[in-house]
Amino acid sequence: MLLIEIFELLLLGVIGGGVFFWWRQSRAHRQNEALLNSKLVAVTQSSRQTGDNIAHDLRTPLTRLRADVEGALRHDDVEMHRATLERVLDEIQNMQNIINALLTLGQAEVGVMNVRKKTVNLSGLLEELIELYIPSAEDRSLTLQGNIAPDLTIEADRQLLARIFANLFDNELKYVPAGGTILLTALARGKRVEIRVEDDGPGIPVEMRDKIFERFARLDPSRTLSGGAGLGLSLVKAFAQLLQGEICVAESSLGGAAFILTLPVSAAKVSKLSPKSAVARL
Amino acid sequence: MKLLIIEDDESAAKLLGNGLVEAGFSVDLAHDGETGLRQARDGDHDLWVIDVMLPGRDGLSVLKALRDQGRRTPALILSALGEVDERVQGLRSGGDDYVVKPYAFVELLARIEALLRRVRSFGSGPETMLELADLRMDLLSRSVTRSGQEIDLQPREFHLLEYLMRHAGQVVTRTMLLENVWEYFFDPQTNVVDVHISRLRQKIDKSFATPLLHTVRGSGYILRVEP
Repeated sequence: MLLIEIFELLLLGVIGGGVFFWWRQSRAHRQNEALLNSKLVAVTQSSRQTGDNIAHDLRTPLTRLRADVEGALRHDDVEMHRATLERVLDEIQNMQNIINALLTLGQAEVGVMNVRKKTVNLSGLLEELIELYIPSAEDRSLTLQGNIAPDLTIEADRQLLARIFANLFDNELKYVPAGGTILLTALARGKRVEIRVEDDGPGIPVEMRDKIFERFARLDPSRTLSGGAGLGLSLVKAFAQLLQGEICVAESSLGGAAFILTLPVSAAKVSKLSPKSAVARL
Repeated sequence: MKLLIIEDDESAAKLLGNGLVEAGFSVDLAHDGETGLRQARDGDHDLWVIDVMLPGRDGLSVLKALRDQGRRTPALILSALGEVDERVQGLRSGGDDYVVKPYAFVELLARIEALLRRVRSFGSGPETMLELADLRMDLLSRSVTRSGQEIDLQPREFHLLEYLMRHAGQVVTRTMLLENVWEYFFDPQTNVVDVHISRLRQKIDKSFATPLLHTVRGSGYILRVEP
């Protein structure tokens, strides 16, 4: 009898333990699922908003394309057809650029982009990028200067770093009026480096300073004056975050805008995340 | 020169094939990985163009199988994904170069020609002197002359001209120049390369009767004697 009771107790214990374990697991699972769901909703909402913007940004060139092709088809002029096809190709290239930028942005923001960190000679890279952009700046009657502390090295991805500054310079060349000055300053601040790209242009109004890093944000609401899709600064921010850096915009002592990027000298190791863990990280 | 294109989109493969035939190549087409692998193994192609996304067996695995069998034919990878990661993965699987879909035909053609040329010049030993008409580049003393007249180039301009001279008679695109001269694997929005080219042109062409550095509209640049 005693043996049977002990056996029954053991059985109950095992079943009870199993049930408890199952309950705890499923509660954790449910909580995890709820968290994932709420994050997925946020991602979906943000991508829906982005989708609306993409639709808007692609509809405009599509309208132009359609009108252009229909116009050409009403005539038999070979020269006119050729000119139309060349414009069509340009429009396709523009749309392709928007789509590529959005894909890159999506990958960077969700964290599925591989970051290849190595020791990078930051001072050298910045000098090289300035050298790459100086002739284009001079062509636009702009002065591009660097004030870079020597021997700055950081653990980072060289291509991502270069893309950050190329995008910032592209932005400066587009918005700083002829005769203006663009200055890049880089210096070490403890375990971080601070790089400022600033100018004596019209600057960015206080109320716009957070918004300019959002997708499709442009100071010019008609989106026609400056060209570009308004994705460059979103890319800058996403790349900076991939490198555990931060970027903000402030007023420059030169009178225009100052983009201030801080990056860790030696960043924590970030490996490629699976889309699922990337969602959990959001 | 005979090329093999392994691309599952039949109409894209046909359009690409037509373009390459017009450019003087003979072309074989395959539309899935297994067929492509068999054709590559049994054929005598000078270059393979391989799409990454293929039904059945993907392009990178086809290429890896061929490389594992000791086949060294140059391979150009096509991918719709388009990020540095895939580029690196493609090159690690044995690809010699990489083009992102949707690509410009001139970009693909320029890269095919550059790859074929690289194979042809393989084993000819390091060059110390590059020449085109009266333009001479001494890679040892790092000096450049035209008609005997010294031309003063910045280090980057020297590198840029060296790349153009090594590909003389061949179109090189802006992307190729950014990748090979500056080592950046992205395209800035600003026309940075064009401006560097125009400065180089000022130095090597301006005071001479025959221009050597020509713009190929919508494609890139070519260094050659004929306009």
